[in-house]
Amino acid sequence: MAMVPASVSARILVEDDLHRSRLTVFFRLLLAIPHFIWLFLWTIGAIVAAILNWLATLATGRPPKGLYDFLSRFVRYATHVNAYVSLAANPYPDFNGEPGYPIDVEIAPLAPQDRLKVAFRIILAIPAMIVSEEFLGTGWNFVGGANGRAYYQEGSKFSIAGGVVLGTVSFLAWFSCLVRGRMPQGFRNVLAWGLGYLAQVAAYVLLLSERYPNLDSGATGVLGVQPPRPVRIRIDDDLRRSRVTVFFRVFLFIPHAVWLTLWGIAVALAVIANWFATLALGRSPSALHRFISSYVRYQTHAYAFLGLVANPFPGFVGRPGTYPIDLEIDPPERQHRLVTLGRLPLAIPALLVSSAASSLLFVAAVLGWFASLATGRMPTGFRNAGAWALRYGAQVNSYFFVLTDRYPYSGPESGEEPEAEAGIEPAHLAA
Amino acid sequence: VRLGLRLVLLALAAGAWIAAAILLWRSSVVPGGLHLSGLDPHRYFSDRQLTRTASFERFERWDFFLAQVALVAVVAVYARYGGRFARESAAGRIGTGMLLGMLGFGFVWLAQIPFGLADLWWERRHGVSRSGYLGWIFRDWGMLAGEFAFVCLALLIVMALAGKLREHWWIPGAAAFVALGALFTFVQPYLMGPLHPLSSRRPRLAEAAHRIALREGVSSVPVRIQDVSGETSAANAEAIGLGPSRRVVLWDTLLDGRFGERQVRFVIAHEYGHQARRHLPKGIAWYALFALPGTFLIARATRRRGGMADPAAVPLSLLVLVVLQLAGLPLQNVVSRRIETEADWMALRTTHDPAGDRRLMQSFTRTSLVQPDPPTWSYLLLDNHPTIMQRIALANAWAARETP
Repeated sequence: MAMVPASVSARILVEDDLHRSRLTVFFRLLLAIPHFIWLFLWTIGAIVAAILNWLATLATGRPPKGLYDFLSRFVRYATHVNAYVSLAANPYPDFNGEPGYPIDVEIAPLAPQDRLKVAFRIILAIPAMIVSEEFLGTGWNFVGGANGRAYYQEGSKFSIAGGVVLGTVSFLAWFSCLVRGRMPQGFRNVLAWGLGYLAQVAAYVLLLSERYPNLDSGATGVLGVQPPRPVRIRIDDDLRRSRVTVFFRVFLFIPHAVWLTLWGIAVALAVIANWFATLALGRSPSALHRFISSYVRYQTHAYAFLGLVANPFPGFVGRPGTYPIDLEIDPPERQHRLVTLGRLPLAIPALLVSSAASSLLFVAAVLGWFASLATGRMPTGFRNAGAWALRYGAQVNSYFFVLTDRYPYSGPESGEEPEAEAGIEPAHLAA
Repeated sequence: VRLGLRLVLLALAAGAWIAAAILLWRSSVVPGGLHLSGLDPHRYFSDRQLTRTASFERFERWDFFLAQVALVAVVAVYARYGGRFARESAAGRIGTGMLLGMLGFGFVWLAQIPFGLADLWWERRHGVSRSGYLGWIFRDWGMLAGEFAFVCLALLIVMALAGKLREHWWIPGAAAFVALGALFTFVQPYLMGPLHPLSSRRPRLAEAAHRIALREGVSSVPVRIQDVSGETSAANAEAIGLGPSRRVVLWDTLLDGRFGERQVRFVIAHEYGHQARRHLPKGIAWYALFALPGTFLIARATRRRGGMADPAAVPLSLLVLVVLQLAGLPLQNVVSRRIETEADWMALRTTHDPAGDRRLMQSFTRTSLVQPDPPTWSYLLLDNHPTIMQRIALANAWAARETP
């Protein structure tokens, strides 16, 4: 049996072929009702077991085997249900959380734990739970009220789907699966990444492991290989952060915010011209392509700085090769005129996902701010999650600005492989 | 020969500067030879009031003094070591300069927070401020962001000019700053948040204000009310804007019943006096007079660090700027006190109400705990208004001149 690397509390295993049954996709939520009921009952038992596990681990420094097995099975089952509902997997899951589901999870083996960390586990887990709330969501979404006053609106009651990133992806994937009978690979990989992170958080909170959840896609087991795209991100960042510039980061971004806005006005006009030109010529004129590309690259530099994805203060012209988080944009290529004509409506799903990804970037930046101030380093998971959001945003903008007609790829970058304890290859997802 | 030429040029520049300063200084309607000192505060204020205001302002002065010491210490350290932060930049020359400027400004802001909080504590203790501590820190973040943006804009101008003109950047640089100052004065009324027409709150007072404006020849300048009573109980007013953006702004604390209508009318007449005597354009002219030698000195002081074209000079330029501002403070206060005296005189000429003026000054002392007769050193170094006793003496002097 494969072993989970020592550096992570849980790891996702993907054996999914992307095929989806249109019929079960159409009725997915209704079909999942028995699982919702069973998961709810199981959750009550898991809460009781978690309290007992906390007391026992606090006393003995090690979770009892029986409780460990019970809670591991619960985490696995919840992951299966989540995967089924969010369309990350196709077959109807079993009710007992047995291994072998196409989207499965491995929990770190039973091991002694530091009692101090056990005692304060729920407090220590707060940042991870904030990320999982933003990434996966538990159904509380902040929306604007009709009369301008904000209020909280209750969404899904369950700790599955309905979240910010995954909720958006699942919603869009539902239409795609119905039309094509296949799950887009990028969407599946994002879902697998999110489910892996949720499993890590659950394993940590339920005291199955004392390894802190890692947002890096590689650490969750998702080492997606990105298909070739004309817009690519290049990461040359050493994770070191200057505490002083981190502390003042929002204020230091102000000149960039002003410049982004001013340049953005010119770019808006250029994009309109580019759309007409590409429609007429079948490719983006070089001058316009260069001008808009520089802006997209500059956006990536500036937001990487704001989101703590990179350390140095960026330049103002979006010159390639000048920033640790850089964007490679291929020269103009032929574009399908029909795709160019319908660019705006076609971009809407990608814009929705990009908006959700930005919310993850925001949370990673806020939490990363505290971490960077304390340690002088940005956690790899936060950095890579931010880079993913930036890369996807840049691809979406490039598509929307008619620089390319290649649709953005939403799957995570190849993350960093976790340190393997006993010679196991992390699961590489099929491209 | 070159040295001689330089000396001649310097003498000419100094002469022009002095001539301009004299011209600005003399343009006042306040008659010369008025004796505004020697009035006994006990005639107008109780012992308790004098003791209380003295105690209040003593702390404020110490707080200010320590804040300035901390400020200079911080910028001095930053001038020494701040250049190291250039390695945190992937931007070019000007972008790196902006980063260093913003960081320096950020350190200054941080260093001032404890003193600001101490001041707030003291004002809350005396019932002058109503702001909460957290609210005080977070209240002006929009303004702070604007100041960061201004720092960037200033450095963009200076470093771009220095890149082209090397050490002669200070001549067009000073002109650019004066233009920026004028621009800021013009747009300030639009950046202050919601301002309410006086007629919407106090229609009768609005009519009186209009009559005052007519008498002072500034009938096109409206009076607006700014709501500050949630943050402070202190009363204040100001004249702002340029040309079509000119306004007289009253804090709503002036209208909360503690000040009689005659007193408020006097305040309005005082502020209209600023507008009538074109004190804001004159203020910009004074600013220009100070900006020229200021930018020159910054240019000279930063030469050893490569001049202002080099980002490494930015931290040092911040130190020079702070020191120049502190050194120039007494001089600025002299100008400011003269302008305020003239506005008082205009208000007396318009309202013919020296008794109202005296009562207003007594009310200011009661509500804002302004010390009527501060120590001379404090007056010279820190006070940008005439003292309360000087303002009462001015009212007496006007009354004496008008009484047959």
